[in-house]
Amino acid sequence: MRLGVDLAGLRLKNPLIAASGTFGYGVEYEGILDLSLLGGIVSKGLYLEPRDGCPVPRIVETPSGLLNAIGLQGVGIRAFVKDVLPRLARHDTAVFVNVCGDTVEEYAEVARIADAPGVAALEVNISCPNVKKGGMAFGGDPRMTHEVVSAVRRVTRLPVVPKLSPNVADVTVFAKVCEEAGADALSCINTLLGLAVDVERRVPRLAFGTGGLSGPAIRPVALRMAWQAARAVRIPVIGIGGITTAEDALEFLIAGCRAVQIGTANFVDPGVYERVLEGLAAYLRRHALEDIGDVIGTLRSPSGDEPGGPCA
Amino acid sequence: MPTATSPPAPVNRDVPLVGRQALEGPYVLLTFRHPEVAGRARAGQFVMIKAGTVAEPLLRRPFSVMSVTPRDDTFTLFLKVVGPGSRALADLRSADTAGCLGPLGRPFTLPPEDHEALLVAGGYGIAPFVLFSEELRRAGRRSRVFYGGRTAADLQLRAPFDSGEAPLACSTEDGSLGHCGRVTEPLSTHLDRRGGPATIYACGPDAMLHAVAALAAERGVSAQVSLDPWMGCGVGTCLGCVVRIQRSEDPRAKYRCACTEGPVFDSRDVLWPGEVSSRARRESAAVRG
Repeated sequence: MRLGVDLAGLRLKNPLIAASGTFGYGVEYEGILDLSLLGGIVSKGLYLEPRDGCPVPRIVETPSGLLNAIGLQGVGIRAFVKDVLPRLARHDTAVFVNVCGDTVEEYAEVARIADAPGVAALEVNISCPNVKKGGMAFGGDPRMTHEVVSAVRRVTRLPVVPKLSPNVADVTVFAKVCEEAGADALSCINTLLGLAVDVERRVPRLAFGTGGLSGPAIRPVALRMAWQAARAVRIPVIGIGGITTAEDALEFLIAGCRAVQIGTANFVDPGVYERVLEGLAAYLRRHALEDIGDVIGTLRSPSGDEPGGPCA
Repeated sequence: MPTATSPPAPVNRDVPLVGRQALEGPYVLLTFRHPEVAGRARAGQFVMIKAGTVAEPLLRRPFSVMSVTPRDDTFTLFLKVVGPGSRALADLRSADTAGCLGPLGRPFTLPPEDHEALLVAGGYGIAPFVLFSEELRRAGRRSRVFYGGRTAADLQLRAPFDSGEAPLACSTEDGSLGHCGRVTEPLSTHLDRRGGPATIYACGPDAMLHAVAALAAERGVSAQVSLDPWMGCGVGTCLGCVVRIQRSEDPRAKYRCACTEGPVFDSRDVLWPGEVSSRARRESAAVRG
């Protein structure tokens, strides 16, 4: 039975990747779980310099979800390359660096430094809703998206994987722009912009005001967008959004995603990878399939037509 | 980020409930089997735990380890039912399981040998002091406990201190038990009367911790405070539980994770709401001598 997948020239041992911002720099989970179980790890978002992030409160739980405004607190790309990469090298898993910037130039400079031995790919964060510059401001404008992705493309030969924002009317526009700008794959999606209010005090429950919603609450929306993106481009799509079980991961794979990222579920139970991998293997056995690739992009409609067509 | 010299990693496992004792009101004692927590947990450390019987709430919640019984591989939590997560835990039946990661965080550290340990608890914050009293006793340190709440019903965990080895001073704001007033009042009186050096340990609501920190600074006594911000993961990856900390070597305050660098902090390093710098406070304390 084969769970490995090919993604933008990388061979991942399985389609499960830890999502940025939910797995620290990976080393926090050393000893808690075997990092070599994972197909890949995406680092917390990294800028050129260390960042403090947002004031507190930064996270609040909502029904089936988590609303956060962390604001990309981080150690900076140089500390990551110097201190973290050597430790991650002990684990057999693909390391993705999540590249951030306040300016196009900063994205390019972070990408240039991140292109270091031990790094498998660069995920380009053009979709964080919790920063005043960069982030979603770039990922919500096709021209800026093109500019950032092209700038990163020019400085690296590593696979470039823009992470798209769901906070747009038509995700396929951005998927196509990224493909044209030289992206090798897409991560779909980042968090949905949300708001929670403390009704007693009549203030937002997060210090930043709004936040990004993640967790099972967003899964159907994320799945729809990943599916739309996968149909719009030839490059592979990594599905993200509320994946907690093997069945959730299978939804994204069947809808056309080459791999998936697990995010908020890491907080709920770091043992999630083992469970999901067992579930994927059990599914393949039950359907008499040899290869997880035989599942990818096999979505049918009940009538036999392509889903998403006009209602009869 | 953990360093190469970090202590043994916490262990993530489904743990069965093996004991349950309802106290008055919303309080309950829950005992689970988890060999690593039972064997390694130190006072002030916590577990992230969630009943396996429910999907909601989504995240595990942090609870201080109240006591451990290594020979049975069990540990006990002191739980106040405040919402659906704690309700689901309190409703577990024998052999039901909970997802549990631990032990987590930095524990209280023992005082110097000649110090008396003054344990200050606000309500629910008494939990870690059951284990800490035991650690202090085994280390041959003298201790006493100041236990405060709004009313007598908030002071449910008095039995573990019945032996009298650590004298227990209760206080309630409504006067229904012990001293009538805030827990810092008998603490302040004791600090005035004490014959020798002391170290303060505090766990409870933020306002109480802030008051204890202020009192400790005023009397030139060192204090370790256990903070309880909202936590998402317990291992330093969600960055949701950060607190503003300024150590003497820090030129400016930094957000540090309460889960991995705390929950126990030196009270002098904590920037309380509205404070810009701990440096000014340190300097004025130094002048007062």
